[in-house]
Amino acid sequence: MFHHVLCLSRVSLKIVGASGQGINSVGEILAKGLKRAGYCVFGYREYPSLIKGGHASYQLDISAGTIGSSERQVDLLLTFNHHGLTINLPDVKDGGVIIHSVADWKWTPEASKDIAKRKIKVVYLPVEELLKKLKAKSILANVLLSAFLWSAFDQKADVLKDLVGSRFAKKKDLLELNMRCIEEGMAFTDSTVGHLSIPLPKPDRVWKDHLLLTGAHALGLGAVHAGVRFYAGYPMTPSSPLLTFIAELQNKTQMAVKQAEDEITAAQMVSGAAFMGTRALTATAGGGFDLMTETLSMNGMIENSPVFVVAQRPGPATGLPTWTAQADLLMTVHSAHGEFPRCIVAPGDAEDAFHLMPQAFNIAERFQTPVLVLTDKQLMEALYTQAPYDQSKTTLDRGALVTGAKQLAALKESDRYDPKAKDGISKRWLPGAKAATFCAQADEHDGHGNSVDDAENARFQMEKRMKKMSALKSFLPQPDLYRIENGKLIIDNSNPSLDLLLIGWGSTKTVVLDALRDEKFAGKNIGYLHFTYVWPLKTERFAQLAAKAKKVVLVEGNQQGQLGMLLAQESGVRVESKILKYDGRPFFVDELVEKIEPFVLSSSVKRPRSSRR
Amino acid sequence: MTVPLDSNGVSMKDYLSPVQCTWCDGCGDYGIWTALRQALVELKIAPTQVLLCYDVGCHGNMSDKLSGYRFHGLHGRVIPFAAGAKLANMKLPVIAEGGDGASFSEGVGHLVHAVRSNYPIVFILHNNANYGLTTGQASALTPKGQKMNTSPNGIPERTLPSMDFIFSLEPTFVARGFSGAIWQLKEILKAAIQHRGFAFVDVLQACPSYNKFATHEYLLERCYDSWKEGHDPKDLAKARHLACDTSQRIATGVLYQNQDVPNFYEELVARKGIETTPVEEVGIKDIGDLMKDFM
Repeated sequence: MFHHVLCLSRVSLKIVGASGQGINSVGEILAKGLKRAGYCVFGYREYPSLIKGGHASYQLDISAGTIGSSERQVDLLLTFNHHGLTINLPDVKDGGVIIHSVADWKWTPEASKDIAKRKIKVVYLPVEELLKKLKAKSILANVLLSAFLWSAFDQKADVLKDLVGSRFAKKKDLLELNMRCIEEGMAFTDSTVGHLSIPLPKPDRVWKDHLLLTGAHALGLGAVHAGVRFYAGYPMTPSSPLLTFIAELQNKTQMAVKQAEDEITAAQMVSGAAFMGTRALTATAGGGFDLMTETLSMNGMIENSPVFVVAQRPGPATGLPTWTAQADLLMTVHSAHGEFPRCIVAPGDAEDAFHLMPQAFNIAERFQTPVLVLTDKQLMEALYTQAPYDQSKTTLDRGALVTGAKQLAALKESDRYDPKAKDGISKRWLPGAKAATFCAQADEHDGHGNSVDDAENARFQMEKRMKKMSALKSFLPQPDLYRIENGKLIIDNSNPSLDLLLIGWGSTKTVVLDALRDEKFAGKNIGYLHFTYVWPLKTERFAQLAAKAKKVVLVEGNQQGQLGMLLAQESGVRVESKILKYDGRPFFVDELVEKIEPFVLSSSVKRPRSSRR
Repeated sequence: MTVPLDSNGVSMKDYLSPVQCTWCDGCGDYGIWTALRQALVELKIAPTQVLLCYDVGCHGNMSDKLSGYRFHGLHGRVIPFAAGAKLANMKLPVIAEGGDGASFSEGVGHLVHAVRSNYPIVFILHNNANYGLTTGQASALTPKGQKMNTSPNGIPERTLPSMDFIFSLEPTFVARGFSGAIWQLKEILKAAIQHRGFAFVDVLQACPSYNKFATHEYLLERCYDSWKEGHDPKDLAKARHLACDTSQRIATGVLYQNQDVPNFYEELVARKGIETTPVEEVGIKDIGDLMKDFM
């Protein structure tokens, strides 16, 4: 019956129920267990903006190969309540399995017909009965259900026992009860279906030593690694997981952490801390960033180097608070009044999220201007299987920071904002240093930071600051082109002629790469150009690839194709074909494959004119 | 103690700036400017050893009229900048200054949370009861009924009782000075700089161009030194009464001080026992141990 599953390189499991019912707990146990058993796991959560109740889900997509996306339809649905049986029936693939614990459940005639037609198998797990037998509290349903699935996946009990056991190492009674729940869950056999078996692909040991973490964790670890010693933030989904993680770590990292009274405060506090000379970080969502933008402008003027994480969710206004979007690209690029340099980096996965953090601070300090790390709910909360971070290549770049006593003593006040400095990057030194003192002046100013409003000085100082933008643009790398060659993903920056050039940025990266791996595209000449540095925008490689490609298609999580607008603005090359999504959901891999297919097929039928205008 | 004009230590000369003052004749900012520098010199704080942070307003034009590490930022936002700076380097005294316009309207939330958080910084309120730099609009502290730039019929709102408001937040240091009483203001500022937590210093000052009510003469007649009358700054109830009741006379001096409340930094459990500052700790950190939690 499950022969089709055997052919698949990936298996998907969706756990649904009311928020707070324990779906996250089952999801986390299974994700970690499967990773330890040798699988790459990608986790994705959907939930409403409520603390308890509401319908939520935790989906795991599992593979022995690299995986970074979710499927729309799943092989397995586990539901904690009857709502999942009605709401999520369409989410189950033909031939899939539904596991539930709703006693005496009666399907409607339509649902029964659908289940029969689509050959969906339904398994009832009498959780309450089993728990009563074990004299276990209802919270242990999580362990019981996890164990049942663990057995269905044909996994060995010891991996699960080690995992669950480590949580109760010091509580012997609870430990024993948990172990019995695992045994009972794994032993359970459905009277009608028999032993449920959902074979997974052959595991790969490589995943065992990987990390299983969210993008927020990756950013947080990256921040600690980067030497962030001060963090201020105000809670706003989807930036809050970073605030929570940084706060949870504080006794280990000894970082100074402040939950500020509002976003303006958070922005000003990190500006003050950065000016004093530490590495300071804040994070917020689009709405909170709106409040921070006057402060952003101020940092451009005083040439200060705080870093802001902006985690996107759909707007306008409060929009869809717990869902995802890539719709604040134009906003962040154009945010805040006046003209000043800024850098915007957009992590595409958990690898980027970690390494871009020290990079963001290095750029901020080297160019003495604020850096934004633009991400989204998808990256913040998705669960990635990630190789342990290679810390050996990280460098500390503090740019033109003067620290030596002799060099400090030689400084003049007017060195601080010297308009003649190469690339506009003048010497910087910190309050407290035995040196000439200056004013970090938000009014237009001369080299000393004295407020001056004559025309010539205004021109010199504007040019000084904007020269840093040119230097920054030269400093940044071109976007990388990803292709599949002989079944393997490679980065190919040789500017090949492509039949189809896909273009994207941010968290879309991993789903596009998964789509490229789809067997439907095997042997096809497709490339994906991914922008990690979205401002200033380097467009040379894009323009060269676009001129040679038969088709160019944007893949973005917004309504207008915002990266496409920036590319057109910066290069004159307009991308006409777009795959856009703006319903709060990320791209799902099966959905994206479907949307890419017509471009692959049509390219051999009809060659369009160059998209260049 | 006398303020050394020149010495081997810190002197008034060290704080000189070649930039000319642009305040109006008779502006209270001259007095505050003088008292601040005197206080720093008497405490032997060199210009390299202090961070002076300015909000936007006439007082903010002080930012280039003296030496020292300085910051001149946005309207209403000086307090959180100064607090963030201080927390990054506890070894440097941080003094923030703002006007009554910014501090009791656009930036009032910051003021509330600065008192609540007890940040170890000084806040000097340049209180001339109006928005001077934007040419004389009413602030929240302008007396009701006054005709101001944008209120030809007199302002309709009631005046915000600033001292009662501050005392309601359980402050640890409240002082009131008068820009004409420079010696006393210097002493107040010295106490404020040495305070453990958030020191709120309300300085009444004349605005010769726009404040026709509380003129320099008006303040001269009413302000008196509460220290000389034996006020005990530990007496909270008395302090609040003195601070709030300005109907006959205006009490000045350190009205209230409580050194028993730890400041925000001292309350940070994660920073207990750490000698270094976040500024000194910048560097690439190994996160090998933290990664283990995700294996």
